[in-house]
Amino acid sequence: MASLVSIGQAVGHVEGPAKVTGHTLYSADVILPGMAWAKCLRSSFPHARIKSINTAAARALPGVHAVVTGTDLPDVRVGRFYLDIPLLARDKVRFVGEKVAAVVADTPEIAEAALRLIEVEYEELPAVFDALEATKPGAPILHDSTPAHPKPPAGHEEVHISPPIPNVLSQVFYRHGDIKAGFAQAARIFEHTFYVPPVHQGYIEPHACAVGIRPDGKIDVWLSNKMPFVARHQLAVAFDVPDERVRVNAVSIGGDFGGKGSLMDTALCYYLASHSRRPVKMVMNYTEELMAGNPRHTGHFIFRTGVDAQGRITARYARALFNCGAYGSFIPAHTLHGAHHAGGSYRIPNIEIESLRVYTNTVPRGHMRSPGAPQTIFAVETHMDMMAVELGMDPMDFRRLNVLDEGDVAPLGERWRHVAGKETLEAAAKAAGWGTPKGKHVGRGVAMYDRPPGANGQSTASVAVDAKGAVTLLTGAPDTGTGSYTVLGQLVAEELSVPLSQVTVLHGSTDEASWEQGPGGSRFTNTGGRAAYDACQKVRQALLELAGENLGCAAGQLSLKAGQFSTAAGKSISLASLMEWAAAKGKAPVSGAGVYNPSPVDVTVFAAQIAEVEVDVETGQVTLRKLVTAHDVGTIINPLTHQGQIEGGAVQGIGQALIEHLVVRDGQVTNVHLGDYKLPTAMDIPQLQTVLVPTGSGPAPHQGKAIGEHSNVSTPAAIANAVYDAVGVRLMDLPITAEKVYAGLRAKESNR
Amino acid sequence: MKKITPRVNGQAQSREVPDNRLLIDFLRYDLGLTGTKEGCSVGVCGACTVLLNGQPVSSCLTLAVTADGAEITTIEGLARGDKLDPLQQAFIDYGGFQCGICTPGQIMAAKALLNSNPHPSKEEIQDWMMGNLCRCTGYYKIIESIQAAAEGKVRV
Repeated sequence: MASLVSIGQAVGHVEGPAKVTGHTLYSADVILPGMAWAKCLRSSFPHARIKSINTAAARALPGVHAVVTGTDLPDVRVGRFYLDIPLLARDKVRFVGEKVAAVVADTPEIAEAALRLIEVEYEELPAVFDALEATKPGAPILHDSTPAHPKPPAGHEEVHISPPIPNVLSQVFYRHGDIKAGFAQAARIFEHTFYVPPVHQGYIEPHACAVGIRPDGKIDVWLSNKMPFVARHQLAVAFDVPDERVRVNAVSIGGDFGGKGSLMDTALCYYLASHSRRPVKMVMNYTEELMAGNPRHTGHFIFRTGVDAQGRITARYARALFNCGAYGSFIPAHTLHGAHHAGGSYRIPNIEIESLRVYTNTVPRGHMRSPGAPQTIFAVETHMDMMAVELGMDPMDFRRLNVLDEGDVAPLGERWRHVAGKETLEAAAKAAGWGTPKGKHVGRGVAMYDRPPGANGQSTASVAVDAKGAVTLLTGAPDTGTGSYTVLGQLVAEELSVPLSQVTVLHGSTDEASWEQGPGGSRFTNTGGRAAYDACQKVRQALLELAGENLGCAAGQLSLKAGQFSTAAGKSISLASLMEWAAAKGKAPVSGAGVYNPSPVDVTVFAAQIAEVEVDVETGQVTLRKLVTAHDVGTIINPLTHQGQIEGGAVQGIGQALIEHLVVRDGQVTNVHLGDYKLPTAMDIPQLQTVLVPTGSGPAPHQGKAIGEHSNVSTPAAIANAVYDAVGVRLMDLPITAEKVYAGLRAKESNR
Repeated sequence: MKKITPRVNGQAQSREVPDNRLLIDFLRYDLGLTGTKEGCSVGVCGACTVLLNGQPVSSCLTLAVTADGAEITTIEGLARGDKLDPLQQAFIDYGGFQCGICTPGQIMAAKALLNSNPHPSKEEIQDWMMGNLCRCTGYYKIIESIQAAAEGKVRV
């Protein structure tokens, strides 16, 4: 058994030295010999037919290598599940910001000058921006046909793709129990509606890509994508070549938060490289990111809940309508998950959830940290608070009565091995001093969330020990900043009983590493970790056998502790000496390949947050004084990176609650730079109190759970509920601006 | 076109640049110093922060020609060989970065702060660092990293 030298240590990122010296390579840093730059002309209309495009003047500009429009390219549609995004608009444009033409030139400045010389004649079409409007009979229709897509995976839900509702791409029902019977048992039924506008992932690295085509036909690609092997396949389909012809090279990701899983401009970049016969690089500027990236879905919700005479929930019907914008293929699944959390972390025996994704003439939406969940949980937890108030119950007591506890069945019928909902909620309540006296215009609000550790997709890892005892782990997963390489390094160090400094984590291209799904969905400590663990077990066994050979005993009689292979009789050899000996015999390096194949997890992971706010009743300004964030945890492999996920997520939640709003007016994003689209700064952070609640084992090596998408979800509802507690103003949409609170305060006064 | 002769990370440079060449493009594409990052392109996010004669500037808003004769320090110029600047080591030890894209700008801004105010309070750090956006960390560990460097808590 290995001694616990690495697991649980709060060590800094293993890739730290490269990151703090500016030597880490991101997509935008790639410079290829003979490289040209491409820029795109984007639509200024939300819905219009393209009548003609005149590129003659742009082509004539010195330094321009190619000017390309949609009809110059094959009719390729790209996407992650549905295939509905054209390389460049062909017959019509569907949102302000859609790419209409592209220029390849010697410099970005020349490319931009050429864009200004392109003349496009449009015929405007009626447009629709609001998802509710888009589903009404007679609404303008965005797409004439259902996009190509694989068969949705078999699940418990009922799936309809392109149902007979205008502009609806997918309609999914999740059901458990019998809601008719459940509502019949209710003493009271409450119905509320909520609205959550879009926010942007806000990564500081805009999307970038570069493509070079080698003389032998090999296509070299660099792109801001956290799933290189998945991207390779999507690119191969778009280029109509075998996967192996494409090499996705290893780059770091400058912030993901769910937004870096698509091809963005990369398929187009290949065709531009092909047209201009030179390597091409494309870097979006932040205005393009905000108007045409893949921000969070807008959510419209109706929640109807039945409660019995004691305050126990008997039934819920929830309808979630997600505005996916002009194209539906920025997400990797048939539906936006998240709406299936409409039961929250509560005991609801009878439930029906309907979730729709709706096309509108607005920026296409994508995935963002816990996709669909912050929108849904804002509705769930505000609805909970409103019911508590109407029942005359303390919001905490109402939750205590209904929260999932050990042995309870979750709303959609899941029977989790550990159910730590109540424990996590109580830990938050205690830390926040729930029920203790508050100052004037000070309020507290609570909200919860749970999601299981991710487990989908295959992960792989190769581990090798060289002739000097140095250990290398090769992974095909990019680093998105979560500290995954450090966690992998710690797992390897632990299993092979070496210091972390002796382990190098290498990121290989798709030609070097084995197939790997990549990080996302709070899965990598589990999936990547289990692949690394598997590789280590193989290497460890091989090393034990070598040591047995060296020490003259069976491998099974040896222990590996503190870097020494030892017999019970006290004979021992260090890893370095063993490998030196093995090398002399031609038996070094020692290596092993590890794999993790998807297997279902049997736990969910809870988070409970309590916000404390103070409201200025003259202006409506909300000050977040404190946020308590309580998390149900297993073994924490690295407390520093674990805490980093909690803090970063919580501040994203605060941003969505109080500051951020991607404003779409008449189909156009109007806050198109980071001066107008406000992200939280170092001045906007409250006192944060983290409470870790050790509750049991998770699926990751050493019984770890998951943390990546647990601290950003319930924050907006906790803050909105605190505002109600402070001054009695109920916010049913986000963000919680001073203007809305002020209007609520004045409305209360005039009602009095 | 204009000839400029700045000193960049202690090395004299001499280049012909177009009058409208931005300092960030000069550093990244003329000199190959890609450690300086472009985020917002409008001087809001701070990712492109470099020191111009010791003062922090947004290199995305600065014309290269204004750096003629100036002393420029970028993230590549902070370490002495393998020996990191205490701020760089603090950002590693205290979790002051995650994805790392904003980190060169954070560290250069923090360097300028500690150069002018070696022992800032937490509030002074927050106020100074307001112009450097980070989406990963929530800033808590950036502030701790700068405090740790200022208090001499890191070994390099």
